[in-house]
Amino acid sequence: MSAVPMLTLEGLRKAYRGKPALRGLDLTVNDNEIFALLGPTGAGKSSTLLSAAGLIELDAGRVSLAGRDVTEADPASRDVAIVFEGFNLLPVLDVKDNIAFALRSPSFREDEKEVALRVGRTAELLRISHLMDRDVGTLSGGEKQRVAIARALVRRPVMFLLDEPLSALDLKLREGLRAELRQIHRQHQSTMLYATHDYHGAIAIADRIGIIDGGIIQQSGTIEEIYALPANVVVGKLIGSPSMAFFDAAIDDGHVVVKGAEQRLPIGEFGTVGTASGKVLLGVWPEDIEIGVADAAGASTGTIYAVDNRGFERAIQVDTPGGSFRKVVPLSMPFTQGDACSFRIPQGGGFLFDAASGRRISQMEARG
Amino acid sequence: MTHAKTSTIDLAARWLVLGLLLVYTIYNVGPIFWLLLSSFKSRMDLFTMPPKLFFTPDLSGYQSVFGVGAAKDSASAVGVFDSLINSIIVSVAGTSLAVFFGTLSGYVCSRFNFIGKGDFMFFVLSTRMLPPVAVLVFYHLMFARLGLADTRFGLVLVAIFANVGLATWIMKGFFDGVPKEVEQIAIVNGYTRMYAFTRLVLPMVKGGIAATAGFCFIFAWNEFAFASILTTTQAKTLPVKISAASGATGIEWTQICAAGVVLIIPVLIFFYLIRKHLLMGMTFGVLGRS
Repeated sequence: MSAVPMLTLEGLRKAYRGKPALRGLDLTVNDNEIFALLGPTGAGKSSTLLSAAGLIELDAGRVSLAGRDVTEADPASRDVAIVFEGFNLLPVLDVKDNIAFALRSPSFREDEKEVALRVGRTAELLRISHLMDRDVGTLSGGEKQRVAIARALVRRPVMFLLDEPLSALDLKLREGLRAELRQIHRQHQSTMLYATHDYHGAIAIADRIGIIDGGIIQQSGTIEEIYALPANVVVGKLIGSPSMAFFDAAIDDGHVVVKGAEQRLPIGEFGTVGTASGKVLLGVWPEDIEIGVADAAGASTGTIYAVDNRGFERAIQVDTPGGSFRKVVPLSMPFTQGDACSFRIPQGGGFLFDAASGRRISQMEARG
Repeated sequence: MTHAKTSTIDLAARWLVLGLLLVYTIYNVGPIFWLLLSSFKSRMDLFTMPPKLFFTPDLSGYQSVFGVGAAKDSASAVGVFDSLINSIIVSVAGTSLAVFFGTLSGYVCSRFNFIGKGDFMFFVLSTRMLPPVAVLVFYHLMFARLGLADTRFGLVLVAIFANVGLATWIMKGFFDGVPKEVEQIAIVNGYTRMYAFTRLVLPMVKGGIAATAGFCFIFAWNEFAFASILTTTQAKTLPVKISAASGATGIEWTQICAAGVVLIIPVLIFFYLIRKHLLMGMTFGVLGRS
């Protein structure tokens, strides 16, 4: 990894017809890493990618690629490649010419011998050599996306911008192609900014993740770092499967009291806490919540609201007075809808968030 | 048994549908067929009651229309040949230019935001709202002052004004159907927007261009109000000429029928030429994009 980041975005601001999409977004993508931009629809993922590519005019902010300020540079001079969710193959060209598209442009022209060589090699890499003379209208969804990725890959740009590249594919295709992308990345040393709303997809492919919502990066880091210290409620809601459980709670006399629960958690367990009293949100990773512990001291009771069968395990949703949470349990726990369910928050197993701003207020060293 | 009964009903239903379709076809094609037959009839046959289906074809109508053969230089010749040429020039030039400008402005309205875009789009649409008759007088005065009265150029201008708004709206719709990522991919890969527009986007909307041209051509070809007021002799178009067709011996019905056939033929040729693209254009919204 070189010292200079491949992509640096600083204070990006962009509004469409007065509606802000980016509100001072900062982001750094290191050389030769896959950085996943994880966020819900409308979070600003596409706008971020389009600004990196130079396809939208920013209201404010700075874009640097490999240490070079490209804020005002035109898209072709940035040498990035982009793949969109909708494939967007060019129907006027066949598969071969779609892949060769970039290599025939005024900016990136190669002689036809080189074009044929590179197109052939890229097609082999993505296993679409047998489709070369096909009309793009006759391809299946998975084939189309392979061609779209090949079209981006053929040029060896400094950076790939992938905007939900796999979201239009079914689960199986998506997993296969994701693994291949990861493989290609390993073999060819490339930098990728990968926007997705799919948590599993993001952690499967990325070296680092940036949680984006409301037009800013809420937190970025490795998945372990984010798990260890989620920056705010938004991050908790977007990370994990199921995502973080939140309980209404209050700090009272040096203890965190969850609404409607028996348990009184000594505030010292949460490390340094910014507030001494008042309403807070207690966030716990569902994996840490102990359930079926009726006999244990301090256990509280909730009701099973829903049970999702997942084959070798099941996901339950438990309603409690303080809030509901979802958790994956083994099939050996025979829960059905409407059952009572005892649960307990383990010692030191949660984070405190400000009820109003959603920011984390408990400070603690990363757990092992 | 039940099965046999059902198929009898099916068969009856099928015959009923076929019968209805036949009636509808006769209803539509009948008048055109009658026009075609009448155009080949002599004056005598034309007024025979009941009408004759079989008769000796008589080309005098067409001869008068084109001012050839026996009718050459005779008083009965209507001589619509010049008007036919006028109509073709005005319609083809007007349609081509209206579609050309409409395509450009449709693209701009689809892809770019500019101040007053909504107002502009409404203004463009509003040019089609006024009945021609309401503005005829002003056109007449203006054209007379500018020396455009009774010129083909003047009528071409009218055809453009009348159709460019429609063309803009239809083409904007077709451009909206092309994902903007097509241009973005081209631009990121080092092409110009002009290249993306002419080489990638335009081929994707060629069905739309054909459909737009079809609409504009019909309007331009059938345009009557402006052509009848703004022309006197030189630039008269075919519909205007036919409406005024009376020779030395009263209204020449045979000639009018022949001229009517002549009026239909160019439209048929035009739609025959664009038929392949037209189907694509008409079904664009239904079949979705590829």
